[in-house]
Amino acid sequence: MHSLLVTGRLLSRAIWNGIANISSAPDASVQRKTEPYLVSAVSGFSKERKIQRLIKGQFGDDAWFTAKYKSSDVLGVADGVGGWRAYGIDPGEFSLHLMKTCERLVKLGRFNPTNPSELLAKSYYELLHHKKAILGSSTACVVLLNKENNTLYTANIGDSGFMVVRRGRVIRRSEEQQHYFNTPFQLSLPPPGYQQDVLSDRPDAAITDNFLVEDGDVILVATDGVFDNLPQNLIVNELVKVQGERCANRLQMVANSIAWMARNLSFDETFISPFAESAFANGINTIGGKPDDITVILATVAI
Amino acid sequence: MENNEEIGKFARIETMLKMSHLEQYVSRVVNCTSRYNNSNSYSYAPINLVGKYVKYPSYGDFPEAYFLRSYGKWWKKSEAYQSEYRPQDLDRLGAEDYVTLEFESAVVPRDICIYEIYNPGAVIRIWCKVLCPSKRPWVLLWEGAPQECPHKTRKFHPKNQLTIRLEVNQSLLEYHWSVDAVLLGGCQPSTDLQYNMMLKGLVGGCCNELQKRLQTSDVCDIKSCNEDYFLNLPYEVILHIFQYLDLKSLSRCAQVNKRWNQAAADPVLYQDLSLKTYWYLVDCTTLQHFMSKCKTLKKLDLSWCGNDLDGFSEQLKLFLRKGCSTLTHLSLGNCEYIDIELMVEISLCKELVDLRLKNINQWLQPPLDRLTKLVSLDVTSTDIQDSDLIKILKANSNLKHIVIGVYASLSVVWGELLQVLVTDLCENLFFLDQVVETAVTYNKSLVSWSSWKTLSLTADGVRMFRECTNLKELDLGWCLINKDPGDCLEQVAGGCKQLKRLILSGWRGLNDNLVMPAVLSCKELSQLDLLGIKNISADVCEKALLLLPKLRLLDISFCNSIPQEEVEIWRQQYPHITIQRSCQYVVTDYLN
Repeated sequence: MHSLLVTGRLLSRAIWNGIANISSAPDASVQRKTEPYLVSAVSGFSKERKIQRLIKGQFGDDAWFTAKYKSSDVLGVADGVGGWRAYGIDPGEFSLHLMKTCERLVKLGRFNPTNPSELLAKSYYELLHHKKAILGSSTACVVLLNKENNTLYTANIGDSGFMVVRRGRVIRRSEEQQHYFNTPFQLSLPPPGYQQDVLSDRPDAAITDNFLVEDGDVILVATDGVFDNLPQNLIVNELVKVQGERCANRLQMVANSIAWMARNLSFDETFISPFAESAFANGINTIGGKPDDITVILATVAI
Repeated sequence: MENNEEIGKFARIETMLKMSHLEQYVSRVVNCTSRYNNSNSYSYAPINLVGKYVKYPSYGDFPEAYFLRSYGKWWKKSEAYQSEYRPQDLDRLGAEDYVTLEFESAVVPRDICIYEIYNPGAVIRIWCKVLCPSKRPWVLLWEGAPQECPHKTRKFHPKNQLTIRLEVNQSLLEYHWSVDAVLLGGCQPSTDLQYNMMLKGLVGGCCNELQKRLQTSDVCDIKSCNEDYFLNLPYEVILHIFQYLDLKSLSRCAQVNKRWNQAAADPVLYQDLSLKTYWYLVDCTTLQHFMSKCKTLKKLDLSWCGNDLDGFSEQLKLFLRKGCSTLTHLSLGNCEYIDIELMVEISLCKELVDLRLKNINQWLQPPLDRLTKLVSLDVTSTDIQDSDLIKILKANSNLKHIVIGVYASLSVVWGELLQVLVTDLCENLFFLDQVVETAVTYNKSLVSWSSWKTLSLTADGVRMFRECTNLKELDLGWCLINKDPGDCLEQVAGGCKQLKRLILSGWRGLNDNLVMPAVLSCKELSQLDLLGIKNISADVCEKALLLLPKLRLLDISFCNSIPQEEVEIWRQQYPHITIQRSCQYVVTDYLN
């Protein structure tokens, strides 16, 4: 009964807010169908099994955003570095604010539609000026579709990444940047006094790339929770299913299944995951998945 | 009610023409007089006003909304604050700042909606710029006194074209005012004919207002009022009475008869001139008019005036050339037309004591070091460069107040000694440490220094302030964001025992041990700002509240180590001290 009341109240409040705030002013992000655009879906899981807080744009310490502005569609993910928990710093905060700021910069049109690494850099420097002290570090990957020249521009720092599949073939995949095993490149704002002890890479250390896309190309942007647990062939098998898909619901189902597979395999202690293989190559004998926060953004190019 | 009827009357024309109703959000922020952050940063910046609201109906201190630099009455108490040059002309509602917004389509305005999300109640006037070229460009849509509002979001909806300007008075606010978005609703012309009618001012009520000119018109000597006892008073007494009148009243008096006209034109009345209140009326002819009246001009405030006017710059040059030998105070805030030639004219005013050049975009190394008597210099949000500033500092040993902040605001007071330097928001100052070095060497009597958000300062630079034993105000907000402050605060506290105001916002590296020396040795402190410092604990705040008898304002917003319950207890324990603490009440809007 209580929960019914709560739900009812939430619902009526939502409806009231909706009525109170509706206006006929056109939304800047209304899609024009004649231009190429991205259809996207997001899915993910927090590493923790219990549900803590639900914030849009966040899965555990991972964060993501999708945004549009005039001639560009932008997607991005970031993975907060968990080591900061030992210093009393919430690792999710940095990644979430980094992505939120990117989203905001895109929506305000304050970015260069051919240079996503500049967007990351701007967002990073913006965090310094928050009144709230945002500390921590994060990997990040931003993918930008420029509608004027049908080109995908990408920037990647650390071990999050993207993969583009065309007719069953991987045509582009991001490279991992690591200082050493399991320690990716990262953007960081350490507490003052710790600067010397912390790995911090400048935003311009991001690897950038650009290439032409075609109608139907499938783009996967995900954090290392996906790439460390799912072998490439498994991912590609899923991505092929949505080749040329324009229905966001079906895209959502595939995004869900990728995230679900990654989550299940991450807790599988006998599975030889890409992470275990990489560990073995570095002389560490381990087996099984790598429990981690998982974020999947799945998008198809519609021209 | 009056407004309602008026709008209703004109609305009929628009309805008759079947103009379609259009609602639109801001498309561009044209300019603003005050901002919290540097111009290349988007947090708290005016650009956040563009487009639909993002945080409303959440209430609180969010970087996604527009913030101004100051709030409440605290900034008026500052030594560096510009006193009104002509108090009798003070704005009735006390406009302090404005922001000019542009909308995409021209409409006949019907209503305006301002989404205030933190400390609402600061808007006092809404102006709009009309398209018809023959009329005065700015028309007042709405005005009202500043209000004290409850702490919740507000959709401000006063009854009411293309460009609008919001004037703001924040003196009643407890803390920063913040706006998320502005929505303008109005009738849009649907045909060319209607558009042309709008251009000619045939549609819409707002064009009908007639603004009285400041100029005196033809003088008519009315003979019938021969019982004018006022005329029997000695001329000096009349002049004395006239001294208390504002410019509008003086202009009216000048139209009474010849004697009054003569008295109202006496140069003695025009030694101090402040036209900021009348910015919407000022044009070239106004300047010409005053040029004949101001024989011994001492103080001149033309802030906000003369933008978008052809030839105003030339007229002002003539004006300054004429008054340069006597001018001591000059304030030209937000005058976008100021160029190098005008700057040269300013530098020829050798007697200048107080120079305020806020928000000036072009700064092409003017020879301001020719001035030698400056006591206050305010260059907030200009592009002033280190070398220029150092030259000025060397030339003006009397500088007392310096403001060089987010907007390059440099307020240098030269009098007995340069006392004020304001360099807030100066983005082209890359070697602020050298500036500080020069300042402490040549301007021993420095009283107030403000370099808000001027990021090139380091702990070494801050340390040098220990030499300025007269320093009362030190605003170094956001100067050492991610730098290690070391022992600089201890050094400053050891040297500047008279500090009244200390602003250390955003010094992330501070902790209890580094702040404690300031609390222990600066007994005069009345304002202490520790915003955004994560490592400050309740201990040092408790000490500050207990040990500083003159403390009135303590800002501990976003100091996350201090529990809110503690703050509530302090507020009851020390009711005379304002303890600022930002909040963020997030309301999830399920349909957005």
